[in-house]
Amino acid sequence: MDHAPYRRAEEFDRFLGDPDDPDEVFSYARCADLDEREEFPADICRRFQEWGLPDQYVPVEHGGGLRDYEQVLQLIRTVARRDLTCAVGHGKTYLGGVCVWVAGSAEQGARLGADIMAGVPVALGLTERAHGSDLLAGEVRTDDTTADTGDHWLVSGEKWLINNATRGSLLSLLTRTRPEAGPRGFSVLLVDKRRLDTDTYRHLPKIRTHGIRGADISGIAFDGARVPRGALVGEEGAGLEIVLKALQLTRTMCAALSLGAGDHGLRLGLDFAEQRELYGRRLIDLPQARHVLTGAAADVLLHEAVALVAARAVQTQTAELGVTAAVTKYLLPTGTDQVLADLAGLLGARAFLKSGHPYGRFQKVARDHRLVGLFDGNTLVNLNSLINQFRSLARGFRRGTGDTAGSDTACDLGAPLPPLDPAKLSLVARHGSGVMARLASCVEEVTRRAGPNPALAPVAEAARRLFAVTTAVHADMEEYQGALTDVPPAAFEVARRYTLCWAGAACLGLWTRSVDQVRDDPRTGPLWRDGLWLHTALDRLLVRLGEPAAADRETYEALLGTLRAARSSGRLFSLLPQQGPERPPLTPGAVTGDRERTPC
Amino acid sequence: MPVPTTAPTTESLTTWLAERIALYLTRQPAEIDPDVPLAEYGLDSVAALSLCGDIEDDFDLVIEPTAAWDYPTVHALAGHLMAEFAADTAQGGGA
Repeated sequence: MDHAPYRRAEEFDRFLGDPDDPDEVFSYARCADLDEREEFPADICRRFQEWGLPDQYVPVEHGGGLRDYEQVLQLIRTVARRDLTCAVGHGKTYLGGVCVWVAGSAEQGARLGADIMAGVPVALGLTERAHGSDLLAGEVRTDDTTADTGDHWLVSGEKWLINNATRGSLLSLLTRTRPEAGPRGFSVLLVDKRRLDTDTYRHLPKIRTHGIRGADISGIAFDGARVPRGALVGEEGAGLEIVLKALQLTRTMCAALSLGAGDHGLRLGLDFAEQRELYGRRLIDLPQARHVLTGAAADVLLHEAVALVAARAVQTQTAELGVTAAVTKYLLPTGTDQVLADLAGLLGARAFLKSGHPYGRFQKVARDHRLVGLFDGNTLVNLNSLINQFRSLARGFRRGTGDTAGSDTACDLGAPLPPLDPAKLSLVARHGSGVMARLASCVEEVTRRAGPNPALAPVAEAARRLFAVTTAVHADMEEYQGALTDVPPAAFEVARRYTLCWAGAACLGLWTRSVDQVRDDPRTGPLWRDGLWLHTALDRLLVRLGEPAAADRETYEALLGTLRAARSSGRLFSLLPQQGPERPPLTPGAVTGDRERTPC
Repeated sequence: MPVPTTAPTTESLTTWLAERIALYLTRQPAEIDPDVPLAEYGLDSVAALSLCGDIEDDFDLVIEPTAAWDYPTVHALAGHLMAEFAADTAQGGGA
């Protein structure tokens, strides 16, 4: 199946050139160099501009090229696979603009869209030094008691740890517009720094970080800055609501960063295992090494499946995005951190080498990715937002309600996506999760298919077990559905289990609704035909849910075969075919100079 | 979905809301003063969004999740719900 988002990402990747070639602007060598110097990748961002990546941050209704979030997912993943700093440093402009896409006027949208497409960086100013994720405590404020504020807001206060705070010419600023604050006490102002009196604001120094070192993570302080009234995005007092809805979109899109990091880490792990030789045996021939590698490979595909469904659900199941985003933003960063930690065990000392060594890239990926879990709401924030919805989620599961039609379209890769209607975004999934409501029928479907195809029998068995656990998790959620204040730690564990079950339901939905369209592809068909990727994904989820394993060695060996085949033919290891821009890797037998023999 | 046989009154809604909010806060309904903002009891703004699901469930009335932000006390919310019921009935929907 020729899936358009992958084709476009493949073209973009080819445009960016072979990352192994140090003469390319966007090469691994260049990224390592910039990281070492903690320098913003400005010349690489210019390459993105040449290709037209910023157009993809601007919805078509505002003059840009953003039609499908699934496409944006694959493009940012492409960048993140080479370098997370570039993906974050450039992708943050989408974050900066998204409040306007959610609630701005047509005129604001058109103007901002033109700026973004012209390459102007945009930032989102939410967090403050003293308050972190507690947005309602924000102290950046408008002061209307001063005379001469008829046409202007007078903005004062400081935002800190803001991506692009210094480089960004525009800033979506969550501002307290009522002194007493409260959920209606904040508004979003689209502040254009180019039009401010330079005496009324100053940038705070770039923060030195352990990962994403080249990004402009800094701050900005306003002191009576005159911001025109027309900068108001949406209604006055709607700031918190707009930001929470906007974060549903960006949290879902953060999946692209984790996917890219997982792709990169897995490739490094595989190459090392293929090339490393100890006492006459290659690492990849040792059972423990194969175990780590295949587990990582299974997780990478599991994450891809969840991200595919989630990114498509942005448009097909918009009213439930609060659930989708929280699950995705919890599961992919934590899951990918774990993949990288496991692979670090495989690489041993190589995982700690700095640039200059082929495996020096590994420590950078792991270091950079550790920040992804913190962006746009950390893991606890995301679990807490699920706990707040336990009432409607448990009720929806009991009744089988939720947007099941939207879930079906999200899972059917051949179905065209409806345009995103931001008015459908909701702070609460009123009727539960359609993905979860579909779980029972997906389990039946796999069971039905296992009749004529015995290879699917263990997959169907794993699916039935997942359904049983999911039912039990929802019963636990009923226990905590009253716990809206003083949330006990045990409720966070229930929420964590919920995310694993949701992921399983999404995988089952994706497989059942798409397998017939993709099974015959000679490249990725073998992953789908007998439910191979689904089997290992369900196994990984069940084990993390504390259940016995559901897949045997043989299944994982088959997965390893597909991983090695993808690498040797220059393809990305993914659910759908995508060719990489790199020169084909040296086959193990042909490696001479790179072959490692020294034990350490 | 349960449909009340009699139309709700401001009084019955006030009682229902106090009970529901007391449940969220693990307090007694009598402790909830209908004129005190819910935030002062420690009901945070995101938790208050859950009310819309319970209202839809018990009264078959669809309201904005943010209703408790715009009508931050039990009395204000009860008044808002009465107005919504009237509008809903006028459109021929709901109970």
